Amino acid sequence: MAIQLSSELKVLLNDRKVYKALATVDEAGIPDVVLKHSIFTAEDGRIHYLELLESSRTNHNLVRAIWFDGTVSIAVTGPDKQRFQIKGRPVEVHITGPLFEKHYVEVRQSLGDVELSGVWVIEPLEVIDENISFRRKEEDLNRPYFRHLDRLAKTPQK
Amino acid sequence: MSVALKRTFEDELTLNEVVALYPDIPRLVIIKTDVQRRGIHYTERALSVVEPDIHLVNDPKISELFGSRDGVKKPLPASLLLRDGTSILVSSTPLEENPYLVDLVDGRLALVDDGEFIEYVEFWRKPRFYDLKTSSGIPMRQIFSARPQRLSIVQSSYCHFWTNHKGCRFCDINNNNKKRNEDEKTQPRIKPQDISETIREALKEPGRFTGICLTGGSVLAGNGLFDKEVDLYIETLQAIGENFATKKFPSQLISSAFNQKQLERLYKETGLMSYTSDLEVLNEEKFNWICPGKADNVGYQEWKQRLIQSVDIFGKGHVATGIVGGVELAKPYGFISEDEALRSTLDEAESLAEKGVTTIFVVWTPRPGSDFHDQHNASLDYYVRLASGLHQLRVKYGLTVDFDDYRRCGNHPDSDLARLI
Repeated sequence: MAIQLSSELKVLLNDRKVYKALATVDEAGIPDVVLKHSIFTAEDGRIHYLELLESSRTNHNLVRAIWFDGTVSIAVTGPDKQRFQIKGRPVEVHITGPLFEKHYVEVRQSLGDVELSGVWVIEPLEVIDENISFRRKEEDLNRPYFRHLDRLAKTPQK
Repeated sequence: MSVALKRTFEDELTLNEVVALYPDIPRLVIIKTDVQRRGIHYTERALSVVEPDIHLVNDPKISELFGSRDGVKKPLPASLLLRDGTSILVSSTPLEENPYLVDLVDGRLALVDDGEFIEYVEFWRKPRFYDLKTSSGIPMRQIFSARPQRLSIVQSSYCHFWTNHKGCRFCDINNNNKKRNEDEKTQPRIKPQDISETIREALKEPGRFTGICLTGGSVLAGNGLFDKEVDLYIETLQAIGENFATKKFPSQLISSAFNQKQLERLYKETGLMSYTSDLEVLNEEKFNWICPGKADNVGYQEWKQRLIQSVDIFGKGHVATGIVGGVELAKPYGFISEDEALRSTLDEAESLAEKGVTTIFVVWTPRPGSDFHDQHNASLDYYVRLASGLHQLRVKYGLTVDFDDYRRCGNHPDSDLARLI
């Protein structure tokens, strides 16, 4: 079921300086992870990804995902140690029409003589806060056995 | 509304059953195939959201080769688009033939069958050049028609095979053309300058088009068979080519089976990148019955040979033949069983694939103006197996079909699957 992204995450996704990685899988389940600047949020809260190459592995995997109900994952890392992972489902691709043509013009203004294959629309299903201190506190709380004993030892007195 | 159905499909697998039976074939492509097979009917609600300034609406003056399934010329939406970018080329179909409905569901356009929501769809959109005229005063929409990403020009909507009553039996081209001429004044032959000006305007819309398709009825005139047809295509392609900085541009010619000399002229003298010549049915005996004009003038084996020779000129992955899927089952001389028809068709397609010729199919839709107007097309199960089989041949022989795929054409369930190649 689709979820709403937080304002903080939307700001990160829409910041071109922020690293974003898109992970997809092929027919054999082999992952493919690529760094992408062309991922951002739309007004309706869904994620848009501009695919520049029709023949790319990512595009093939996205086609496979929309056809066979597959999911993708987007990792986002911000300047203040923010780390998020978004699980999502590709639900549409615009290969023609106003949205496609708007991005076609913009991406060529920005990057020069490039192609635009499609504007993928990804519906966010889950957001995981991957910030390590947050995740460690969470694990310490919920899985108390998952720790080495030395971390619990009394600090030797000097 | 209550209509006495002529066809109920009760003895066939349903859409959902076929989707479940073939988990490796995308549901969206199966839906497209079934919609093409059964046709559509637009409800009044759906038609209420058509905006002629935005959407592509059929215009009797536009040179579409074939007529609609209901034989009526109305300003209806040209066709549909699914959310994965798959086009559904489909025409209005009489309600008694049990078509899908295009209706509004939650305010959005959707395919509906027997009250069940199937998928949301969109209408195709009109390009800007449709509202313009050439310097000679011809509406540009009468010169090129548009699909979501393709431009099409019909060189001649008269097929000479019909002159001696030897037109292909599934085809309505000349009856459709005759009807159009009765409805509208005959348009003069399109001049190269009008073609060039229209392309120039179309290219002003960034991102709107990825390919150009030329086709038309066979022209038997000239010093040699098809020489006149070749001359016309060369003239058109050269006019189109004036607008490109590169010699070659993404393009497809769907024409008669030309000889080597004619093909070499087309390749060397124009920017054409791919060549398609339709055998229509991949079985010599059925071909002789269904396509008597092609059989008499060229012959099945020679047609095949010319396709194979064209691979030497255009290259592997740039040559195709089209078939009318399901017409091989037409009565009374077609295959009796779908299994036999499929086996025969795929065997023959493989013999072409081995030589670099790929086979694509359209779903046979019996039209009122054709000899086979009162026949039924094949089952959905058959079409899915045919699409899968042709796709697997492309995978096996390393054949791409980029010039005739979901984007540059949109009319072939099998080449929709090529998005994964």
